[in-house]
Amino acid sequence: MAIKDPVKAGIDSGWAHLNAASLTENQTLEADVVIVGSGAGGGVAAEILTQAGLSVIIVEGGPLKSSSDFNMEERRAYPDLYQQAAGMKTTDKAIGIFQGRAVGGSTTVNWTTSIRTPEPALEYWAQAKSVQGLSKAELEPWFDKMEQRLNISEWAYAPNRNNQALKQGCEQLGWEYTVIKRNVAGCWNTGYCGMGCPVNAKQSMLVTTIPSALEAGATLVSQAQVVKLEHHKDKIFAVKAQTVDGNMRPLGVELMFKAKHYILAAGAIHTPTIMLRSKLPDPHEIIGKRTFLHPTLLSGAVFSDPINGHSGAPQSIYSDEFVWQDGADGELGYKLEVPPIHPVLIASKTIGYGQSHAQLMEKFNQLQVTIALVRDGYHENSQGGQVRLTDHGSTLDYPLTDAFWRAARRAYASMAELQFAAGAEQVLPISEGMPYLSSWQQAKKAIAEMELAPLKTVVASAHVMGGCAMGEDLKLSMVNSFGESHYFDNLSVMDGSIFPTSLGANPQLSIYGITARNATRLAEKLTA
Amino acid sequence: MERRTFITTALAGTACLALGVNYYSTSDISVNRQQDSKHRLLFSVLVPVFLDGALPDVAALKRDAINRTLDTIEHTISILPLDTKAEIEQLLEMLEGRLGLLILTGSVTPLMMRNQAELVDMLQSWRSSYLDLMVTAYQGLREIVMASYYASPEHWSRLHYAKPSFLEDMN
Repeated sequence: MAIKDPVKAGIDSGWAHLNAASLTENQTLEADVVIVGSGAGGGVAAEILTQAGLSVIIVEGGPLKSSSDFNMEERRAYPDLYQQAAGMKTTDKAIGIFQGRAVGGSTTVNWTTSIRTPEPALEYWAQAKSVQGLSKAELEPWFDKMEQRLNISEWAYAPNRNNQALKQGCEQLGWEYTVIKRNVAGCWNTGYCGMGCPVNAKQSMLVTTIPSALEAGATLVSQAQVVKLEHHKDKIFAVKAQTVDGNMRPLGVELMFKAKHYILAAGAIHTPTIMLRSKLPDPHEIIGKRTFLHPTLLSGAVFSDPINGHSGAPQSIYSDEFVWQDGADGELGYKLEVPPIHPVLIASKTIGYGQSHAQLMEKFNQLQVTIALVRDGYHENSQGGQVRLTDHGSTLDYPLTDAFWRAARRAYASMAELQFAAGAEQVLPISEGMPYLSSWQQAKKAIAEMELAPLKTVVASAHVMGGCAMGEDLKLSMVNSFGESHYFDNLSVMDGSIFPTSLGANPQLSIYGITARNATRLAEKLTA
Repeated sequence: MERRTFITTALAGTACLALGVNYYSTSDISVNRQQDSKHRLLFSVLVPVFLDGALPDVAALKRDAINRTLDTIEHTISILPLDTKAEIEQLLEMLEGRLGLLILTGSVTPLMMRNQAELVDMLQSWRSSYLDLMVTAYQGLREIVMASYYASPEHWSRLHYAKPSFLEDMN
């Protein structure tokens, strides 16, 4: 019996989906609310606003792909479902960025880790970034609501061997670790979340809020890339988009969307890009600045027994031992997790070529990989990156600062210590010039002396945040603490771009919870 | 100097291709059916160096794997975003031109005429260069080749990796 594809079934049943690539003539569409983007923010907003009786159009630049398209192969998933075929990089090419691009945004391809916004982040936003009403207690009902909606619960099965090593290392060393909560229902524990869930177990926006909004009458327009917002005085009066093919190449047809209210939910690179291209008023020059990435280091470890890191829930354990160790704005902390291990991901995110690389790949199933996600945006020497417009789109400049490299060195040491404690035979910090290390003592010395530099050290990111900060102080923020524009009556932002710093945690649940709160308030306003 | 300016300057005034399909086609590489495809011959020189030790030992299988990888590389480049595509095209055109080769490798000898050790030296010098341009050239080519090779299920046998078969079993 084939797996049922609820999206295909919904379209057959009459959902209002328009693939803009099929259009040959310019069109104008109208609704109460137009939402740009269908990821964690856009999806949740669409469901809440539709349930409130408002007409909604969701505009998505990427294609509509669903479980029948998800064949568990990187060669199909990366071009179909990721920005720039998973090859996006910062301007100097020092950081590779994984960000989703299809309907459902990054929720279609993420690894399902669901963590409430850490309290130290909320406290720092209130104290240093003029954010109001987002205390732990105030957010609790919204997180409760979204956890229920998306079936978020602690992973009840044994972690796979890759995660088990993280757990064992923490146990041996007396470090904190937590069993991860995941947004899954009936998970098959296969390990291919990053290529789109083939069995619709992952409760991404693609199979939850967006279908619910479409059932209730919302319209989804895919392959329509928003170019700019048209505005006059304190009103947005239209969104202009162009039709694009599956590779985001323009097809020459224009779309105009008109609404009472507009929501930008295009993610922390594209929301600022649209704002910059639209030349929105920005007296304090905030748009696109303070963009955060959780820049991430990798440490490989060779075990004698099979790790099979491609198999099983990709993330089920994390360690927060080092995230807030030195206080929010002290030395940069880092969160320890593991990634799924698949051929293209590992082949491209390791170093070298020829025999040495081939030998590493031959140990593929003995390879455990630990990652350290560095918490950026708090320390004075960690002010994030900046989105700038280019001829064909935008680029993100992200300087890797001294404070980052200090954290990187500590993180490599922590990862090596953890991996040896878990029984690794060898550890390989993924940075040019580093050999296989055979003991914690050897690793400690080598890591203390290793050369760390952009392009020499492999740095990756799967969490793009900031660039359109929230807060009440106009000098610090573009939108208020409800995501409402300081400058336009009918514009809100509902995605990770509103975070004033990084989170120190995987972002999806923070976006779900805060969007649920903000979209509910917007629905009340628009229906009053 | 910005990379683009550097490359544009380097290319100005030269249209002389150092790498000609007619001179250097070999029986191992299926260039004939793809004579018009850009950069295939260039990659046919680089792929065996990047993938030394990963490619199959048996000659016929090795040839198939290289050709499959060349097909994937061509597809990969075709779907790159315009800015990235323009950058990689400029790099490849430099490697196919005498002046570009001289600037990037210190020699006008076409890559096809260099032996494995010389090609390894070239990659190593880029890899360890103090110029970001050279390092990004190395990393860009490396990433395209590695991703294109390991994208194919036919190349996973040494990894002992296979995707689950339940989807096929159910259909």
